[in-house]
Amino acid sequence: MVKIYNDYKDRADFLTVYVREAHPTDEWQMKSNVKEDVCYAQPKTLEQRVAIAKDFVERQKYPLPFGIDDMNNAADLAYSAWPERLYVIDEHGQIAYAGGMGPFNYDPQEVRAWLTKRFGPVTQSSSTASPTGAAPAPKAADGGTR
Amino acid sequence: MSRFSKWTLGSILALLVIAFAGLSFMAGSPKDVYWMVRYAFPHMHRGKLRLGDDAPDVKLLALDGSNHFHLRERTGAKPLVVVFGSYT
Repeated sequence: MVKIYNDYKDRADFLTVYVREAHPTDEWQMKSNVKEDVCYAQPKTLEQRVAIAKDFVERQKYPLPFGIDDMNNAADLAYSAWPERLYVIDEHGQIAYAGGMGPFNYDPQEVRAWLTKRFGPVTQSSSTASPTGAAPAPKAADGGTR
Repeated sequence: MSRFSKWTLGSILALLVIAFAGLSFMAGSPKDVYWMVRYAFPHMHRGKLRLGDDAPDVKLLALDGSNHFHLRERTGAKPLVVVFGSYT
């Protein structure tokens, strides 16, 4: 997603929403997380959630704008987001792309395809282009890949 | 037990074995099947949002841990790509 963000951040806005952990140490922990020293218990408080989110951003040098879901998991529930999911919301506040359930149907390349369809492919010279060259907003039904 | 009952029972058992083998492959190991059923399935939902639906507004906490903002505040100017996920 970082590469897509770097390619299209001038023409689209991005927001990462941190939701409840997928593979914490006290639930379904993955060996790969142990190997990479990404070991956290499922947060019980918002402060614990913020601490993990900060760790993630700092360790990964993650550049996307960031928001954290509350302990009622309101964002997760509204978007059926857990464990990971992608959406594009158009300028009218409507769903323009709804990705499949992660992890098996989590596909950033579908987001890139949506952005490419809307704004054209990124080339070396256009990657820093002004957003004023953006095409008009498509109808939602035409804009998605699903 | 009648012959029909034996076939029915055998078929059900065979389907269960195939399903377990499939889940084991998908999850990584037979042990992971338990964790997947226990912790993943209850939280995974296909969802009802469809193209053209109004995007739900949600209140989010900023990374500083003190300021809140609404997802809707980030929409309107350009398309908004929303990436949901966690660290693990």
